[in-house]
Amino acid sequence: MTDGSAPSRPRRRAVLGGLLGTGALALTGCSTGRQKARIREWNLFGGGDGARLQQIHQQYVEQHPDVRFEAHTLAWGPPFYTKLAMSAAGGRAPEVATLHLSRLKGFSPTTMLDPIPLDLLNEAGVSESDFLPEIWKRCHVDGVLYAVPLDQHPFVLYYNTEICAKAGLLAADGRLKPVTGVPAFLDMLKAVKETTGKFAASVETTNPWRMWWTLYGQLEGKFFDESGQRLILDDDKALEALSLMAKLSADGLTPRSANYAALVAQFSNGEAGLSFNGEWEVTTYQTAKLPFSMAPFPVLYDVPQFAGDAHTFVLPHQANRNRADTKATVEYIAWMLKNSTEWAVGGHIPAYQPVIKSKEYLSLKPQAEYRSVAPNVLFDPDAWFSGSGAQLQNEAGAAFSGVFSGQTTPKAALAQFKAATQKLLDTPSPV
Amino acid sequence: MRSTWTFPKVATAVGAAILGVIWLIPLLWALSTSLKPEPETTRSPITWLPEAPTADAYRSILEQGDLIRWFVNSSVVSVLVTVLTLLVSVLAAFGFSRTEFPGRRLIFGLVVAGILVPPQVLIVPLFQEMTGLGLVDTYWGIMLPQVVAPVMVFVLKKFFDGISRDYEDAARVDGASRWRIVWSVMVPMSRPILVAVGIFTFIGAWNNFLWPFIVTTDPSMMTIPVGLANVQGSYGLRYAQIMASALLGGLPLLIVYALFQRQVVRGVGDAGIKG
Amino acid sequence: MSVQMPSRQSWRERWAGLFFVGPFLLLFAVFLLWPTVSGLWNSFFNTSLAGVDQEFLGLQNWREMFADSAVWSSLKNTLIFTAMSTPPLVVIALVMALLANRTGVLGWLLRFAYFAPFVLPATVVTLIWVWIYEPGFGLVNGLLTAGGFAEIDWLNTENRAMLAVVITTVWWTVGFNFLLYLAALQGIPEQVYEAADIDGASERQKLFRITLPLLRRTTALIAVLQLVASLKIFDQIYLMTNGGPNYATRPIIQYIYQNGFTNYRIGYASAISYMFFAIIVVVAVLQFKLFSGSKEDSA
Repeated sequence: MTDGSAPSRPRRRAVLGGLLGTGALALTGCSTGRQKARIREWNLFGGGDGARLQQIHQQYVEQHPDVRFEAHTLAWGPPFYTKLAMSAAGGRAPEVATLHLSRLKGFSPTTMLDPIPLDLLNEAGVSESDFLPEIWKRCHVDGVLYAVPLDQHPFVLYYNTEICAKAGLLAADGRLKPVTGVPAFLDMLKAVKETTGKFAASVETTNPWRMWWTLYGQLEGKFFDESGQRLILDDDKALEALSLMAKLSADGLTPRSANYAALVAQFSNGEAGLSFNGEWEVTTYQTAKLPFSMAPFPVLYDVPQFAGDAHTFVLPHQANRNRADTKATVEYIAWMLKNSTEWAVGGHIPAYQPVIKSKEYLSLKPQAEYRSVAPNVLFDPDAWFSGSGAQLQNEAGAAFSGVFSGQTTPKAALAQFKAATQKLLDTPSPV
Repeated sequence: MRSTWTFPKVATAVGAAILGVIWLIPLLWALSTSLKPEPETTRSPITWLPEAPTADAYRSILEQGDLIRWFVNSSVVSVLVTVLTLLVSVLAAFGFSRTEFPGRRLIFGLVVAGILVPPQVLIVPLFQEMTGLGLVDTYWGIMLPQVVAPVMVFVLKKFFDGISRDYEDAARVDGASRWRIVWSVMVPMSRPILVAVGIFTFIGAWNNFLWPFIVTTDPSMMTIPVGLANVQGSYGLRYAQIMASALLGGLPLLIVYALFQRQVVRGVGDAGIKG
Repeated sequence: MSVQMPSRQSWRERWAGLFFVGPFLLLFAVFLLWPTVSGLWNSFFNTSLAGVDQEFLGLQNWREMFADSAVWSSLKNTLIFTAMSTPPLVVIALVMALLANRTGVLGWLLRFAYFAPFVLPATVVTLIWVWIYEPGFGLVNGLLTAGGFAEIDWLNTENRAMLAVVITTVWWTVGFNFLLYLAALQGIPEQVYEAADIDGASERQKLFRITLPLLRRTTALIAVLQLVASLKIFDQIYLMTNGGPNYATRPIIQYIYQNGFTNYRIGYASAISYMFFAIIVVVAVLQFKLFSGSKEDSA
């Protein structure tokens, strides 16, 4: 009942406005008859991120009574991206959506996204100089801006401060003593395992892409050649990374099989004193009143590289995009960037540099502890089938999860992954 | 003889009861989980009953409001699909059974061949068609493909063929048009089978996952089965909430079934024997 | 049927029939015939969901399909699911019907318990069962560890995941077959058993000599309906394992969905759809042959 009456009022207004302003709307596309701009936002944030985004959106709605704002969260990964693509193909896409920067090229921006109007963005007080140049460049396809970055989110190390204190791993300032190199890393894990009596670290064995990509990146491994058409994976380096993963589970330092929910649960209930994951579960553990902190993932090999991605805002393609709604949408994006300290509380490193330099952000603990890794975030390989939650990650998950569970050897897993990647390369690109 | 408790009878009853309990355990376990405070859901070893039962999970689900919206969508879609399917199919079955027109046999043959086309293989071209027609994320887009039920036309036509023509001849003598004959003769005479197929059309439409899943992208247009699928993928540990939303999502049809069990049971029998 | 057609027909009379079948035919043409044809058409193009310009490919999609190992492995998974799920769905339904037939007071409750899962949407069923299979704190593993056994991560272990899906499917859909059997059982005239009682037949003899033979046709019907239904598996697997682990449970419909929508390859997905369509038609024709034969047997 409440459901039927609430949306009907604005809709009546919209219809009226449509009748009055048809001519003007058709010609100039401006909002003569409409009283309220409409923004529908789709995102893929569940868990702690989702809860935080809801709070931020509440503030946004309170400060913008002149906007009809409606946010929807769809299941992360393929379900979200498939739905977003289908809605863009169907012409009834929402005004704005979140998109992983690594997915931008594969999302066929020229047909399924609308360009971000730079003039409107500048009017809203956001410009190129507010971002790291590398990220800003990545938001363009063929010289056109299609995305505005909100954050960066690297793979990091969570540690339970009580367990690690007991294991003697904390320095005098209460921070985890930094370790580098595999032997030191293993020693640390063994010490934690002895303390928990169960695992050292919780990992998502069903989708170990981020871990493998981090390790492989630290070995300076390459994926595609310059043309992006040829796979030039370094077998030795790839196997080194996989063997380390196999060793971790074989020695009982990590579980043999754990999905994402289990990763969170095992760190929450103290079965694991460490957790290897993206930095977005801060809210979850804080809500659970867990004594924990965070640090950059250790540099185990040659160079500091940390698998990660960036969340951006995009304008999905609409058959009839309304200029007034678009203006309000760009203003919403700018508002979200300027208020991204709140978002950073959830763990992400803001992309908007004025926030990064703010006192508020710098005083966040543990969120500011790993901000140094931002320039070393390693994006997924560049291909239409690659990026967060895309086919390449799924293939890696399918092939590599057996390495943790002991069902496959690193060699067989790598062979399977390479074959799957080659198959994807051979598939005619649909975008 | 009938009322004595022989060993086979007792054994049968006990076996039946055990199987019944096994079949109910998943639902009871879900109910128990939904009444636990969140931290208790992930405790190990497991607790059978909530130590401190709470309706918090239900409260937060209902406060979010999505479930209510999906419930409205599901109700609108299922009721209209059922009504439209019955209407369109009854008329078509009557047309094929009682009227002559050029190409009738050929067209009926085509309809019967249509039974062979599984809806699953049409999802891709049908979605494309819907984008062309602008019906993605609309009630019509969800409903119309479900209304096309050649198997129902086939079953009803066979049933109508079996109804003696004496009844309609009598009605015709009284001056009834064909239109009147459909509603005053055929429909009343086939009430049981219409109720049966109606109930199953309703259950099928309510529970249909694949097509609404394809044709709705906007969460506010989703039906219960599709909307709930979004809850599942979200990260985080909210098992009490997930179980609460699952149970609430399943509740409407459980109630319908509990109330109309007799008709449903007979309906399956009829459908089975006819099919 | 058309015996008593009057030879003299007015124009109105001749076309009145189309008025009755018209609405159905219109919907049939638009939402069944047209997509069936356009699907075939698309299978010869590189049609993309992303809306980039399409080109004629000839048989390229079809050639790619026959060489695509994922097509065959997902087809194999579909068949494995069918082979694993059909027997228990028939046998357990029969056992349930035999147990619940003539149980008096218990009857309503039993019919409720056995059939209730069937009225639940796939999503509700899978939400509950994913939770039941959850490692660490799910019901099944809770019982296993309480009994001193090792935990099994049902949905993430290659040779367990399909079994887990089958168990869920049996729990969910067996109720329908149960009701079909129950109706058949209740259709057996009481006199048959009374006559057997007079002959002093034991319960066992009645079961094997009377009941089961009389259910033969019902069993054939259920088995075939089940077979076709199982081949179309998608919902549970998509929702429970998403085709994993390592694609060990991915059915053919999901592969179509992934190609068409997740990877935007409408043309290629159409080609696979058509191959699957052909398989369904073959099974359905066999089913039809079987039944037009067995009907004469029982008559």
